[in-house]
Amino acid sequence: MPNTFFGWIHLLIDEYGSLFLQGAGVTMLIAVVGTVAGFVIGLLVAILRTIPIKPSAPAWQRILLRGFKTVLTVYIEVFRGTPMIVQAMVVYYGALQYLQLDMSALLAAFLVVSVNTGAYMAEIVRGGILSVDKGQKEAATAVGLTHWQSMTNVILPQAIRSILPAVGNEFVVNIKDSSVLNVISVTEVYFMSKSAAGTYLKYFEVFFITAVIYFVLTFTTTRILRLVEKKLSGKDSYTVYGSQSDSNAPIRYSPEDR
Amino acid sequence: MDSSNSPIIEILGLDKKFGRNTVLSGIDLHVPKGQVVCLIGPSGSGKSTLLRCINLLETPDAGIIRFHGQDTTQMPKGLLHAKIGMVFQQFNLFGNLDALENCVLGQMKVLRRSRIQSVGIAGKYLERVGMLPYRDARPDQLSGGQKQRVAIARALAMDPEVLLFDEPTSALDPEMVDEVLSVIRTLKDGGLTMIIVTHEMAFARDAADRVVFMDAGQLVEEGKPEALFTNPKNDRTRAFLSRSLRGHGTGLA
Ligand SMILES: Nc1ncnc2c1ncn2[C@@H]1O[C@H](COP(=O)(O)OP(=O)(O)OP(=O)(O)O)[C@@H](O)[C@H]1O
Ligand SMILES: [Mg+2]
Repeated sequence: MPNTFFGWIHLLIDEYGSLFLQGAGVTMLIAVVGTVAGFVIGLLVAILRTIPIKPSAPAWQRILLRGFKTVLTVYIEVFRGTPMIVQAMVVYYGALQYLQLDMSALLAAFLVVSVNTGAYMAEIVRGGILSVDKGQKEAATAVGLTHWQSMTNVILPQAIRSILPAVGNEFVVNIKDSSVLNVISVTEVYFMSKSAAGTYLKYFEVFFITAVIYFVLTFTTTRILRLVEKKLSGKDSYTVYGSQSDSNAPIRYSPEDR
Repeated sequence: MDSSNSPIIEILGLDKKFGRNTVLSGIDLHVPKGQVVCLIGPSGSGKSTLLRCINLLETPDAGIIRFHGQDTTQMPKGLLHAKIGMVFQQFNLFGNLDALENCVLGQMKVLRRSRIQSVGIAGKYLERVGMLPYRDARPDQLSGGQKQRVAIARALAMDPEVLLFDEPTSALDPEMVDEVLSVIRTLKDGGLTMIIVTHEMAFARDAADRVVFMDAGQLVEEGKPEALFTNPKNDRTRAFLSRSLRGHGTGLA
C-alpha cells in the first residue's frame, strides 16, 4: 500500500481511471442533454407565456389561455422552488411506484435535469424577451407576422444574444449539480467516486481527483462558451454596394446572389 | 381624387378607452382611395391611438372600421396588416436583420412569396427610397433618415393599399427630415392612400389632400389644407395652429 498522498493518487488513477472517465462522460452527457432540452423547453414556455390575451377574443379563448399560462407559471415556481435532488427522487420513485414505469437511471436523469433546467431557462428567456424593445413586436405585428413568427424571426434572435451568458451559466451549473443524481444511482462522476472511495476508504484522495475533474470540465466549458459568444455577436461592418473605395463591392444588384 | 369613390377606409363611431381614460370618442372618418390625409393635433389628443386602431394594434371599444366595406375585425390578421401598412416614429426596423431582410421577412412569411421573388421586390423598393446601396447594413449601422426610408420600403414591399405614418420625421435630426418627406411625396405621386400623423405643418399644407385636426380624442375639424390652415372654423383649431405655426416659424397666415 502507498504511504503518501501522491502515491495514493497514482494508485487510484491506475485502478479507477476508466471509471472516473466514464463518470465524467456521463456527467457531460447529462449536462449537454439537460441544457439543450431545457433551453428548448424554456423557449417554448416563454413563447407561450408571452402570447397576448386580446380583450376582443371570445371569452372561452381568454379563459383557456389564462388557465394554460397559470399551469406554466406553476411549473416554473415548483421546479425552481424545490431542490433537484428531491425532484429526482420524486420523479424516479413516483414513476416506479405509481406508473409502474421502471425508467433507466440515465433516462430519469435526462428527464429531471431537462425539466428542472427548463424552468430556469423559461425565466431567463422571458427576461431576454422583455429586454427587446417593444417596438420590435409591434412592427412585426404590423407587417402581419403571427406571435410565433415574430418570436422566432425577430424577438428571440435578439433576446438570445443578451441571454447567452445566462444560458451558458446554466450549462456549467448542470455539470456540477448533476452530482445530486447519485441518489438515484446515475453513474455520473460523483457516484463513480463514491464507489471508488469505498474500496480503500480513501475519501479525501478520491474526492480530490473528483474535484479536479469537475474543475477541468467547468473551466473548459466556460472558455468554449466565451468563444461561442464572441462568434455569435456577429459581423459589424457591411459593404456599400457600388462603393468606389472597396474593390470587393458588387456593382450590379441581382436577387439571385442572395 | 374622385371623392365619389366608395372609401377605402371608413371609420364610424370609433371609441377607445385605456382603463377609465377615454382616448377616442365618436370618431368618424372616411378616406377615399388615393387620398393623403394628414392628422394634426396636440400631444395626447389620440392621433397615434387612432392610427393604431385602424390596423388593429389597438382594439377599439366601440364603433366600426371598414376596409373596402369589410369590417376589419372580421378580416384575416395577416391580410389586414399586409393591406394596411404602418411606419413608426421610432422606425422599429428588425434589429437582427439587415436592410434587405427587413423587407423580405413579411413577404415570405405573410404573403408566402418565394425567396427570389421577395428579394427582387425588396430590392425594387429599397431602390425607390434610395437605400439599395445599404441593403447589407444592419439597422444600428444606419442614420435615422436611412432607417426610416428602409422602414418605408419594408411597408411598401407588402403591397399595401393604405400606409399609416405615425410622426415619421419626429425622431429625426432636422437635416434628415427632408429625405424622408420627399420619399413620402413620391408615394403620393404614385397614388398611394396615406394617413399621416405629423407635426410638420408645411408638409401637411402642401402634401395633404385633406387635413384633420384632432383634440382631446375628438375629430374637431377637417378640410382642404388651404382652407383649414388659412381659415380655421373652430376656436381650438385656430389656437392650435397659431401655437404650432408660431413655434415652427413657418410664416403661414
Ligand atoms: N397603452 C396605453 N395605455 C394607457 N394609456 C395610453 C396608452 N397609449 C396611449 N395612452 C393615452 O392615450 C392618450 C392619447 O395618446 P396618443 O399616443 O394617441 O396621443 P397622440 O395624439 O399620438 O400624442 P403625441 O403627439 O404625443 O404622439 C394619451 O393620454 C395617452 O397617455
Ligand atoms: Mg403619437
